[in-house]
Formats: sequence, C-alpha cells, structure tokens
Amino acid sequence: MKKELKNDNSASKVKAFFVKLGKGIVNIVKTVGRWLYRAFMGPSAVLAREESKRRKQALAEQENNSASNLDRVDGQVLCDVDDKSYNDIVCDNAVNADEATDIDDKTNKKRNKRRKNKKQDDNNVEEIVSPFRQVFKNFFGKRLAVTALVILILMFGLAFIGPLCMPKYSDTYSEFFHLNQKPGFKYLKIPKELASDVKYISTWDAFSAGLSNSGKVYVWGNTDIGASGIDVGKIPDEVKNADIKFVGAGEDHVVAIGSDGKIYCWGKDDVGQLGKYETTELYYEMPAEIRDGVNINEVSQLVVGHFVTALVMKDGKVYMWGAKASLLNFESIAALTNVEKLVFEQSYAVALLKDGTVSTGDKNVFKKVYLPDGTKKDLDAFTRGRKIVDVAANQSCVALVLSDGTIGFGGTVDEKTYTTGIPDGEKITQLVSGQRHFVALTDAGNIYTWGSDILNQTKMPKASKLQGTDTIYAGAFASYAVKDGKVLGKWGWKGYLFGTDASGRSILQRSISGGKMTMTVGAVAVLISTVIGIVIGIISGYFGGWVDMFLMRVCEIVSAIPFLPFAMILSSVMLKMDITNNQKIVLIMVILGVLTWPGLARLVRGQVLAEREKEFVTAAKAMGVREGRIAFKHILPNVISVILVSLTLDFAGCLLTESSLSYLGFGVQQPSPTWGNMLDMCKDITRISNYWWQWLFPALLLATSTICINIIGDTLRDVMDPKSNIDK
Amino acid sequence: MVKYVVRRILYMILVLVILSMIMFFLYNLIPYDRAANAARAEVANNKTVKLDYDTVYLKYQRLYGTDGSTMDRYLRWVGVKPYYNGEKKGILQGYMGYSITYAKDVTEVISTPMRNTVRINLIATVVALAITIPLGIACAVKRGSVFDNGTQIFTIIGYSIPVFITAILFIWVFSGTLHWFPASGMGTAGEKYTGIKAFNDWLYYMALPLIVMTFCSLGGMTRYVRASMIEALSMDCIRTARAKGLKERTVIFSHAFRNALIPIVTLVIGWFLGIFSGSLMVESIFGLNGVGKLLISSLKTGDYEVVLCLQMFYVLIALLGNMIIDLAYGIIDPRIRVSK
Repeated sequence: MKKELKNDNSASKVKAFFVKLGKGIVNIVKTVGRWLYRAFMGPSAVLAREESKRRKQALAEQENNSASNLDRVDGQVLCDVDDKSYNDIVCDNAVNADEATDIDDKTNKKRNKRRKNKKQDDNNVEEIVSPFRQVFKNFFGKRLAVTALVILILMFGLAFIGPLCMPKYSDTYSEFFHLNQKPGFKYLKIPKELASDVKYISTWDAFSAGLSNSGKVYVWGNTDIGASGIDVGKIPDEVKNADIKFVGAGEDHVVAIGSDGKIYCWGKDDVGQLGKYETTELYYEMPAEIRDGVNINEVSQLVVGHFVTALVMKDGKVYMWGAKASLLNFESIAALTNVEKLVFEQSYAVALLKDGTVSTGDKNVFKKVYLPDGTKKDLDAFTRGRKIVDVAANQSCVALVLSDGTIGFGGTVDEKTYTTGIPDGEKITQLVSGQRHFVALTDAGNIYTWGSDILNQTKMPKASKLQGTDTIYAGAFASYAVKDGKVLGKWGWKGYLFGTDASGRSILQRSISGGKMTMTVGAVAVLISTVIGIVIGIISGYFGGWVDMFLMRVCEIVSAIPFLPFAMILSSVMLKMDITNNQKIVLIMVILGVLTWPGLARLVRGQVLAEREKEFVTAAKAMGVREGRIAFKHILPNVISVILVSLTLDFAGCLLTESSLSYLGFGVQQPSPTWGNMLDMCKDITRISNYWWQWLFPALLLATSTICINIIGDTLRDVMDPKSNIDK
Repeated sequence: MVKYVVRRILYMILVLVILSMIMFFLYNLIPYDRAANAARAEVANNKTVKLDYDTVYLKYQRLYGTDGSTMDRYLRWVGVKPYYNGEKKGILQGYMGYSITYAKDVTEVISTPMRNTVRINLIATVVALAITIPLGIACAVKRGSVFDNGTQIFTIIGYSIPVFITAILFIWVFSGTLHWFPASGMGTAGEKYTGIKAFNDWLYYMALPLIVMTFCSLGGMTRYVRASMIEALSMDCIRTARAKGLKERTVIFSHAFRNALIPIVTLVIGWFLGIFSGSLMVESIFGLNGVGKLLISSLKTGDYEVVLCLQMFYVLIALLGNMIIDLAYGIIDPRIRVSK
C-alpha cells in the first residue's frame, strides 16, 4: 500500500515534471516564434498585432455588454431621429428601456459601428508593412523563386543530412571489382526460372552465371563489359541449345561445358581468357587435348577466376588457360596431378590436394595461419596432422577447413576476416567465399557469414527464412542460400543507383559527400569574401579621403588579376606545399574568398556614400555616437539588402569557380570528392559517351544548385529593389 | 583628356609593377632550382672528369642569375640589374624567359597558341554578339511577355551552368550520339590541306568549341543587353519620341538602342580583351593548342617561366582593358567627363 502510494507520488512527480518540461518547451517555441515573427515582420507589425488583439478583446467585451443590455429590451420599437445611419442597422433591435440605458446602449453600438467602418477602411487602404515583410511577401508571390528555394533546401538537405545516413562511406574506399558499373540494381536479380531450379551459381565480379538442373545457362548482373560493347549476357545459341553440365563466371568471360564434353567460352578476349591466344610469356592457350572436348564424366570441377579458367579432373589432373600473368603461380599449379579442389585468390591459385594438404605451387604463401580467436600459428602447428578437407579463397586470403571443422585463414588477414562468429561445437560442412566475405553452413543447419560489410555482404536475411538450407553459393559480393534447388534467400550488394566511377566508387555516395564539400567550400569562400567586402566597402565609403583612395586602389589591383589563371597558380603553389588535404581545402576556400571581394566592396561603398549624407547619420553624430558604431550599426543595416543579393549570387559564383578549378585539377584534390572533381576523368569522348552516368549525376546536381541559387538571387534583387516594383 | 590618359598610364604602370612583384614572389615559394638541376645533370653526365658539384652549381647560378636574394632575381627578371656577364636580359629588353619543357624562349612558345586563342575567341565573340544584341532588344521591347520570360529562364540556366558541363554535354550530344563533329583536335591528322579546304577542315574541328563558347556567353550578354535596353526605354526622350508620333521601329533603333549602346560597347570592349584568357576551359577540354591549355600544361609540368609570362600578359591585358573601357565611356557618352 505504502509502496503504491510512493509509486503514485513519483508518478505524479514525473507527470508534473513532464508538464513543466512541456510548458518550458512551449514557452521556448513561443519565444522563438515571436523572434522570428519580429525578424520577418518588423517590430511595428508586432505592435500592430498586439493592438488588434487588444481591440478584439475590447470588442468582445462590449458585445457581451450590449447583449446583456439587449436582454433587458422588451420589444417596443423606438426610432432614433438623431442618428439615421445607425438606425438603418439597429432599428430592428429597438430599445425600450429607460433613457439612460438607451443612450448608453446607443453610444456603445455607435462605437462598434465606427470601428467596423474603420476596419473596412483598413481593408481598402493597403496595410503598412515593414520592408522585410514586403520582401517576404513579394518573394513568396513568385512561383519560380519558391520552387527554386524548395529545390535548394532539398539540395542542402541532401548534402548535409545525406552524409549522416552513410556511416559505411569513406572517401578513400574504392571497389576495384566494380569499376565503371552502370546504374541499376541487377547483381542479385537471379532469373525466376532459375531461382526454383538451381544446380550451380558462380560469380567472380559484376555478373553471375547460373546453371539449372535442366542444363540451361543463365547470366545476370551487369553483363556489359565496360566500353568494349561485349555483353556476356548474350548467351551463344550453341550454348542455349546444348545440355550444359558445368558453368563458371570470370571477370569478363563465361565458361560452360556441355554434356558432350564440349567447352564453350564467351565474353571479352583481350588477355587470352577464352583460351585462344597462343602460349607465350603472358598467355596460356587452352590445352590441345581438351580443345575438342573432354570426357564429361571425368570432370570434377570447373573453376573460373580473374582472367583464368581451370578444369579439375577426377583423377587430379588440372587443365588451365588464360592470362598467365594474372596468376603468380600459374605454371606450377597447372603442372599438379593430384588436385582435389582448386580455388583462385586475386593473384594466385590454391590447390587442395588429394592427400589433404594444400599447395600454392612455387609460391609458398601459407607460412602463418590465423585462427578465429586471432592467434597466429605455423601451418604445420595448425593442422597437427589433420587433413584439410575444404578451401575457399576470397580476394586477399584463403580459408582452410580441417576434418574436425576447425577453420584457419592464410594470406592477408585482418580482424574482420577471422572473426567468424561460429560457436564452438558447430562443425562447418560447407564453406564458400565472395571477394571480401565468407559464408559457412554448419552441421546444425545454421548459416554464418563474416568479413567486410561495406557492400552489405554480411547482411543476412532472418535465420527463420533460411531454415533447411542444404547448399550455399557465394561470389563477389552476393550470397545465395538454396534448398532442393530453390533459392531461399539471397543477400549482398544489389547495385548502385548512380553507378560507379573509374575507381569503383559509388557515384551516389560521392555525390552526396561531394555536395557537402562543394557547398561548404562555396559557403565559406563567399562568407570570407563578404566579410572582407563589407568591411572594406564601409570603411572606404564612410571615411572617404585617403583611406578610400588607398582601399579602392587595392580593390582595383585585386580585380585586375584575371581570376581563373591566378587561382590556378595559387593552388598549384599550394599543392606543392607540404600540407594535409584538409589544410589544402581550407586554403582553397581562402583563395576563392580573397580573390572575389572587390565587386561587393565597390557596391557597398556606393551605397554607403549615399547613406552617410542622410539625416539619421547626422543625428547619430550629433548624439556623439562613435564613428565606427555609426558605420557598422547605423549604416550597415541600411545596405543589407544589397549585401544579401550579392551574397546569394556570389555563392553561385563560388560554386562554379570551385568546381571549375577542381575539374581542371587545381581545386580540391582526390580522393575528397566535390561535384567538380568527380568529373575530372571525363575529358575524352570515349569516357563521356560510354560512361554517361559518371558525369551526368554530379553535373546535374551542380547545375541544379547553381540555377536555383541564381534564380533566388535574381528574384531577391527584383523584390528588394523598390524601383523595379514601381515601373512594373 | 591627354592629362587624364597620361595619369592613367602612369597609374597602370605602378599597378603592373606591384602585381609583377607579387607574382614573382609567389613563384619563389615553389621549391624549384634550375641551376641545381642543370648542375646535377652535368655532374652526372660528365663521367670522364670528376667535377666539383659546388663549382658547377655556382657556374650555373651565375649563368641563370638565380643566386642572390629574391629581390635581386626580380630585378634581373625585369631587366634592371645586369647578369654576371654584364648583359641586361629581362622583360624590359623583350626577353620573357626560357621554357624548360620546350627548350625554347617563352616568346616562341607562346606565339602559336596565342594566335589560335585570339582567332577562336574573336569568332565566338562576334557570333555571340550577333545573337545576343537582337535577342536582348527583343526581350526588352516585349518585356514581361512569354517570350521574354522564357528567354530569362534560359539565360539564367545559361550562365549558371559551368563551361565544362556545357562542353561535356555538347560533346556527348554532337560527337558521341550524333557524330556530327569531332570532339578534340585542331585538324585532320596527317592531312596537308591548302586554301579553302584547309579552312573547311579547321572549321569542322573548331565547330564544337565555337558552339560551346558562344552558348556559354549567351546568357550573361543577353541579360546585359536587355537590362541596358530596358533602362534606355524608360527614358524621357523615348516618351517624347513616341509622343511625337515616330514609328516604333525608329523609336527603338535610333533612340533607345543608341542610349543602350553605351554600356553595351564597354561590355564588348571588355569582352574582346577577355578573349586572351577567356577560353581556358574550352581549350583544355577540346585539346586545342591555345594559351589556356599552355597555361594548364605548364602549371602541371612546372614550367614556371611560361606561366609567369602568361600571367603578366593576362594582368597587362586586364589593366589595359580597364583603361580602354574608362576612356571609351568618355568618348561614347559625352555626358561623362573623363578629365574630372
């Protein structure tokens, strides 16, 4: 009971606290609202509003009064001769009380009436509003300007809120498997017919090849190979008609083996991927004994890598062809005769031998093996005589699974690679790998995935959806969980909305991050130039004399400097200096700001010259206000409209100059993106016409922003200049 | 008038001297030592005799005049202070410096690109003027009409889009998609045309850069012409002319346009002088052998004497331009008194 009471007490306390908090918030909002109102409408409007409120209240009170008066009226009509106009309205509410009340009532009504008339007059004569409110009203009367403002606000939102939504983004990350990728979300779009009848899925890079149980080959993903015009998605007719048993996808070619043993290769053939190049230092031709076909029953594995293809036979023999230079241990692996399984890392091949050991040919990479707990061991100490039963390789390392389910990693390994997350006691039954991640199926039927998550590789669907998976496939940045040939779940990278650039960086993410950079550089530069311009303009205009003379000469010198060449020279000097990238960006802002102020300074000076002769300045002087205070506190607010317009237009100007400089390579340097330097690759026709998405999106964003800012600036100028209103 | 011009010229020279000093000192911030490079090369190449690096270095320093303080070097560069061989060799003597990349005097390096740049820009400006002046007048006369509003939006878009985006867009449309014009170069490689054929070939290659440059200058110029024409149309003399019953055509072209011409002429003069530095972007994108491209490549290769010379040239042109504009104001508009 007591406890409850206490609870009650605390509850009421909490309630009281929240009520208090709410009231506080309401008060703050009200105050801010009042400030905003005052700022936009001017103090006179605030007074007017208060006055009208007071009047309304008085009116309401009086109406109450008169109503109570009328209650006492008992219906008799009495005409008032004195005040005809008044009678027109009120004669039906005739008065029949004693004279005193009558007169009282009448005067009340009269007053009401007059007030009403006055109100009507108010409606006829234009209301007097503060200049700011006028500007506000005129500005929002223009549809084009309002649209531009809305778009600009959206742009700012994109540039400043957008980066917060991409925690995984970093300027330096580039995905070399995804160079020049087209916009679209195709990577996981496995064809419907295949999704219910999967026999095998193979992925190396931007596209996947799949084989159905009925022997049909499917290719999906970004199947265009760069600017070459080759589309691996166009499956040759002979392959379509054949009954295919094996399929494999490489970097830019696909290999399939029919049930008759014939080997089909299609795709790009610039480094001998298709096995047609004669064997030299660089290339390796398809071995002669399999050129006309292999014994399909003898083939145990078809494995396709970067630019190489390998056939592993059941007797342990390996046939390899492709770009010899792309693998460090090509020849020594091709010479092996007891291979169980072969996997390709980015730069070398790893063979699991029939005796349960691994071989990397003449390139001995496995000196050390990392365990999931992070400890490092020699390979022998790791295996301790146990057999290796499975290998899987991603882009930089190789995972080894021992017969008891222990897993270890060799090659270039980091923390994310060995932190598997598989609990003790669960044994890995199947292990597959993408380019930067691993997927494992355990004997408990659970699927585990680990590795880099930058492209959502480890973002698995709910475990309940994947219940009963019997086979897993992974490749590049995609993973598939399959049960009886039916795809239960797929996860990984779906695609890029705006595509990628020549270094494999997402254009969308860089556009957003670059927007922030561009806007910041532009805004800071324009602020610097505005501050310098205002100070110099006011000092020069207000004080005149030799100060004016000197400052205006400085102004002329600065404006005589041709802008773009000089900015380029300054920044090339700056680039030679030994400073960090961020300092360079700050310097760019300063350079832009310091070179663009003369225009504004002249404008402000002209305005100040006109203002300083006015009476209020004389009055201020007479009152003994200090000179500096007069200049900056009394005159400055009067020239603020000019400054505001020039601020807006200069902002657009700074965006343009910054992006031009960055485009030429003299502005913000890679890898920090801006809308200008994202286009710096697009200087030749092949790139411009083949990779249109690389320039279109940043250019579109930049152009939209500057157009909107210019429209807003133009409208502001029209709206703030009373002259332009008169002659319209 | 003469007094004013003389004063302006003297003032211009003062500004030029100040700016040249700023430029020169800026360049000296770049860590580059021509004498050291040459000395190192000679020591490395001369395998027969073992040379003392310091003496060779001193020799080259004296040859190039790179020893002494920055001020000494500046004076040598200008041509006031003699080199060690007693010869004065600087800007005042007409020697602009030596290009390391081209192994030639800067004057020689600059001449061909300069010719190209001037030619391209001249054509672009003339074409742009031929389009913008009638367009601006039409907009001003039909002020507030759909045509005017449309043109206004178009011009805002025109001057809001940076040159390189326009260029990329035009290359994509006209070279990439329609295959009308080549996207870069100054003439068909390996062909030696003469006469009209050479001109046609040149025009074929120049078409796209010229279109881009014209297009980019349309926006700003049209707005300028329109604004000054509107101002002229609101003058009292126009009302008088209309009241007299003159034809609208006469009112617009002989009364209003003449008044509007005053600011336009100054703009045109400024534009012509801006020719030299104007096409920096276009030249770099289209691979034209012009001053802008030379400036960029020199900046990238570190050929600083070329850059310095070009920069001084740009400054000189800008200062001259300002002066000519001021004088032109006085000549065109008698109401402005320059001598004041």
